[in-house]
Amino acid sequence: MTTDVDRVADELRALLTEVTGRDELLDIPATTTLLGGGAGLDSLAGTLLLRQVERRYGVDVAAEDLNLDALETLGTLAAFIAARI
Amino acid sequence: MPSAPADAGAADAVVKCVVWDIDNTLLDGVYLESEEQPPPADPVLLGVLRVLAGRGILQAVASRNPPAAADYVQRLAGLDFAAAECGWDAKPAAIGRIAADLGILPDAMAFVDDDMVDRAEVAAALPGVLVLTPEDAAEAVSWPQFSPPAVTAEARRRGQLYADRRRRQAAAREFGGSRAEFLRHVGTRVTIAPATAADLPRLHELSVRTHQLNSAGQPVPAAELAKLLSSAGAQVTTVALADDFGDDGLVGTAILMGSAIDRRPGPGVATVPLVMMSCRALGRGVLDALLAWLCRSAAAAGATELAVPCRVTDRNVPFRLALAAAGFRADPGTVTADGRTLFRRRLAGDLPSLPDFVVTPGRS
Repeated sequence: MTTDVDRVADELRALLTEVTGRDELLDIPATTTLLGGGAGLDSLAGTLLLRQVERRYGVDVAAEDLNLDALETLGTLAAFIAARI
Repeated sequence: MPSAPADAGAADAVVKCVVWDIDNTLLDGVYLESEEQPPPADPVLLGVLRVLAGRGILQAVASRNPPAAADYVQRLAGLDFAAAECGWDAKPAAIGRIAADLGILPDAMAFVDDDMVDRAEVAAALPGVLVLTPEDAAEAVSWPQFSPPAVTAEARRRGQLYADRRRRQAAAREFGGSRAEFLRHVGTRVTIAPATAADLPRLHELSVRTHQLNSAGQPVPAAELAKLLSSAGAQVTTVALADDFGDDGLVGTAILMGSAIDRRPGPGVATVPLVMMSCRALGRGVLDALLAWLCRSAAAAGATELAVPCRVTDRNVPFRLALAAAGFRADPGTVTADGRTLFRRRLAGDLPSLPDFVVTPGRS
């Protein structure tokens, strides 16, 4: 289970880098907040990330999580996805 | 035979960007087969392209050709493409990059290509894109998807605005600092001001064009918008955006009602019955600034809570992301069958911060 979360977190770092064009996101810790501070995702980058997540894992975070709490940190998003694959 | 798809009448299907293939589509032949003297334009499709550009619909190309091919077609058309993807990638990847570049979701795009395989690939990978043959496109000027109801000064300048956007994004890629530092670096100016009668056509346009950053989750009928705008106590606010790269003009609006006017959610609760913002403002800190200002205005007027009624759709996820970032929460148990719910935020303690590049009615 933990390995799943870690693996998904690694894949999410790559997706984050892809949607933002910022290579430094490859190295962020799992506790990094995604919106606003931390990874600094804005609405557009967040939407593109969720689309990639849906395409890769078949997990529609926006449909399941009204308040998008799953996006609090990289780790919470990885756990949310890992629990559904 | 070519006809508008079944949902053509749906107002939410307005196309914001058309991506054209070049060979045997915009050109009457293949560019590389005769690079010395490239083939002439297809006169019908080039005419369609110009008409659509005049309606404020962005024009882009995706072609397996060197970049010179896009420059050549651009000269023939006499206008600048909002985006040009020339390379050897599959078309879905090229269209995906154009969507990301322009900040437009594939649902608001059309793709015209003579090649059946390319069309099939795009239709499979990007089901939201309206995929057309050149024959379909020749008739598209009369379809509702290509007929935005209001064409404002902002709409006519849209091609230029997206050219500004390309230069801004190139600068952002080279800039080393954070997003917030970049916004300051390029002289971002967000101006929040009371709406005037002269803003009405643009507000109507926003009500039909905005989906991603729209609390209603769908176009707002003109009559409903008029009713909201004229409600007693409604504080209608506009948001304008500019930076050193260009002036985007009026990009958004919000309606704020004090608790004394609309008591439904409870005493002390101010409501924002409508927020709409152009997707051009995505990634430029504007919606975050507007939400912060709404919280602060409502708190200054004595409200203890701000409520944003929202219809949750699969398209306004960007709006929900901004609400979440500003600390709004909704109770999942209250969502109606058609997706309506109330996002709320207590106005005690720390309020979302208002960046210093925001000019508000009380601050210059």
